[in-house]
Amino acid sequence: MCHEDIGKAFAKNPHAAVDRGESKHGFKGQACESCHGPGSNHVQTLSAVDIRNPAKFAPAEVDRTCMTCHRNQPTTSGRLEASHARNAIACTSCHSIHAHGPDGLVTRKPAEINAQCESCHIDVKATFAQPFKHRIPENAMTCVDCHNPHGSFKPGLMRMANANEPGCFNCHSDKRGPFTFEHAPVREEGCQSCHMPHGSANAKMLVRQEVRLVCLECHANLPISSGIVTGVVPPAFHDLTSPRFRNCTICHQKIHGSHIDRNLLR
Amino acid sequence: MKCPGTARAETLAGRPAAGPKPRPTMWVGALISLVASAGGLLGQTTTETTPVPSDQPLVSGYIDLGYRWVTGVHGSFDTYRSVVDLGSGPKLLGADFTILNTFLKPGQRFFDRINVRASDIGDEPYETLHLDISKAKYYKFSGDYRNIAYYNNLPGFADPLFGSGLILDEQAQDTHKRLADFRLDLFPNHVFMPYVEYDHTSDYGNGIANFVADANEYPVQNLTRDSSENYRGGLRIELSRWHFKIEQGGTTFKDDEQLNAGSGSTNYGNFFSPILGQTLDLTSLSEAYGVRGHSVYTDASFSANPLSWADIYGTFLYSQPVSNVNFTGLDTGNQVLLSEVLFYTGEQNLIASASKAPHTSANLGAEIRPFRRLRVMPSWFTDRMHSTGSSVGQQALKVDPYNEVPIASLLNSALVSNSNTAGMDVFLDLTRKITLRGGYRYVWGNASDVILPIAELAGLEQGKIRRSVWIAGLAWRPLQNAWVNLDFEDGSSGSTYFRTDLYNYQKASARGRYRISSALSMSASASVLNNQNPSPGINYSFLAHQESASFQYTPGDGKFWSFEGGYTRSTLSSNIAYLDPEFLIAEQSDYRDNSHEVR
Repeated sequence: MCHEDIGKAFAKNPHAAVDRGESKHGFKGQACESCHGPGSNHVQTLSAVDIRNPAKFAPAEVDRTCMTCHRNQPTTSGRLEASHARNAIACTSCHSIHAHGPDGLVTRKPAEINAQCESCHIDVKATFAQPFKHRIPENAMTCVDCHNPHGSFKPGLMRMANANEPGCFNCHSDKRGPFTFEHAPVREEGCQSCHMPHGSANAKMLVRQEVRLVCLECHANLPISSGIVTGVVPPAFHDLTSPRFRNCTICHQKIHGSHIDRNLLR
Repeated sequence: MKCPGTARAETLAGRPAAGPKPRPTMWVGALISLVASAGGLLGQTTTETTPVPSDQPLVSGYIDLGYRWVTGVHGSFDTYRSVVDLGSGPKLLGADFTILNTFLKPGQRFFDRINVRASDIGDEPYETLHLDISKAKYYKFSGDYRNIAYYNNLPGFADPLFGSGLILDEQAQDTHKRLADFRLDLFPNHVFMPYVEYDHTSDYGNGIANFVADANEYPVQNLTRDSSENYRGGLRIELSRWHFKIEQGGTTFKDDEQLNAGSGSTNYGNFFSPILGQTLDLTSLSEAYGVRGHSVYTDASFSANPLSWADIYGTFLYSQPVSNVNFTGLDTGNQVLLSEVLFYTGEQNLIASASKAPHTSANLGAEIRPFRRLRVMPSWFTDRMHSTGSSVGQQALKVDPYNEVPIASLLNSALVSNSNTAGMDVFLDLTRKITLRGGYRYVWGNASDVILPIAELAGLEQGKIRRSVWIAGLAWRPLQNAWVNLDFEDGSSGSTYFRTDLYNYQKASARGRYRISSALSMSASASVLNNQNPSPGINYSFLAHQESASFQYTPGDGKFWSFEGGYTRSTLSSNIAYLDPEFLIAEQSDYRDNSHEVR
């Protein structure tokens, strides 16, 4: 046997089910051919040119080979729409087809999942070094808790909650509503209107250090702007020189939406 | 530099166990590693055909136990708890072990494999436990549990009174979030694969929130308690060229938040100055929210390869969450209704509200390959959310021992958000190593928000979005172990929903990775986003860029040691006009964020 090491590893791999005839696509006892194509010539000549080698395919071609069987990925848009696919990041960039063991195709451990994503997204890894962040560095969360690497019709491969609600509500269900008095950006733009979910130098992962500026950068329209952008005029004539009014959420506590107060006070 | 620090058995996957997590300097505890590799004792061989190779040990993995002494936190303990919050005491630092069922014949087994992972259990702010049980061709079960403690007692801005002990962000919260998720996939045959799932999310904790009266606000005790249950079931249908998924789910939600201030003490709030000679205060408070919600949702999708030169996919998603709320509030003290200049000594509030938000999303797309090297991908997406609500309130103000002033309110609200995106991407495989990408996207939608009757300065708000985006990209793979991606996006908008939205923008990124050997790899990335909204009164200018480089050296697959390093530099600069609320004077909001990260 020429590829004995691969064969031994493959026997412990989830794809070994193909070799055992447990796949509807056949290939019992010929699992190698399910990806590498007919191998009789290769066996005769022992030449690498006589066998398909997906490792040398263009990424889109690799994806097509995998999707022959794995078309039904748990995504909302299919692999095709995924930004990974569009950027020519093939399935094999994350999935090791020949690796052995139950985790061989892709890692399942939080630390290793995060390390795998960070190996390319090094800029995002740096963001998690900010003082206020989701608990990715502690491995209490993984990147795939919020992102679906296979695809999503939301930007950033964001996962969804309860069919088509923002994935943030999977954990932050108290912010989900619906509220009688909605805060429009939460619905129309999502949580990242005000928060930097990967990490921020500001408390509560806000986009600005001072809460009042998070609010006033939107709530600063003159009445003539109505109909051009939403956000209304400054909501009250508060004296911002008083510390009492510098943090809007001291009073407007239900900033994500309120069930009972139109001014989001309670 | 990282080093496992303790002897561990490899997992069955042959991968090294997860590397150690960063520990605070206070961590001086002993670390005990219990290596549960019982292969020599318990491993058995079997002559039965088995999906699990018989030379594997019955149990393998590791359990790390330890103890942490927190020897003292200098400075602000609230800051420590808000950022670190590690406790002392005995810990289960980590566990990862697998049990293989090699002692029974395949037909007699309830399971083939059990895998358990756990980390940071024992007064830690992020406890996790994960369980996988599977039997080939029959089922796969996974359970996940997390207990995350969240504490926040930091001011949301530079608090000028922080040194005096007065924290102006009166929203300190000590919250525990518990998440549990259980899923069972069944494999009765190769075509129909049903599954069921149950998720639970809950929060509970104590904190400080404000009771907001008309002219003053009073920090009071806040008790939060909410939970959400999510049930869903679905069926995957996998035919040779067509794959379908249909899922039906439902949620229930309850939130019983309370605000309390015990009678017998006087709370003067944040405003000490007398109004018309009277000092405002709160002497007792009891407020309770009773929020009950539920929803149903549907998720249907398909993906198909009907022709050798075409793939298609589509999704339909629908959800309709509903909330019903009963709120009661009772407070006493000396308060004022500023609009009426009416002082009162007690207030009772009863409010009932209801809201629902039907939400529909759908998309459709295709990949068409007219030539071997050319791929065309049209796509369309729509999202429509209509939220409506109504609130009925009855307020009674006790102005003297014998008289009450009743105030009734009836409010209705509606928020509509519709958005659509249509686009086309074209990919050209110039060579096997170079792929060019170009595309165009058009985004349009409208939104409106109103609360009736209209009051104060807030009226009907309407906005629309019109945006054209051009896309270009390059994917280059000079070597099998090296790749470079370049992306560029140029967008221009006729109108947007919000002042800080992307308007006229350019976004570019470059990312590359080179795996020099199986042990050494290098990565680099750079990105820039420039957004300008020159509309009068807005004058928004935003520029952010980030540059990163890193390397990883993992000899021997990182079993014994590995070395990694990296540097990231990022800057963000934002400048936008806003109006000072008091006098409606134009002001400028400048925000600068510069960071360096070395690891």
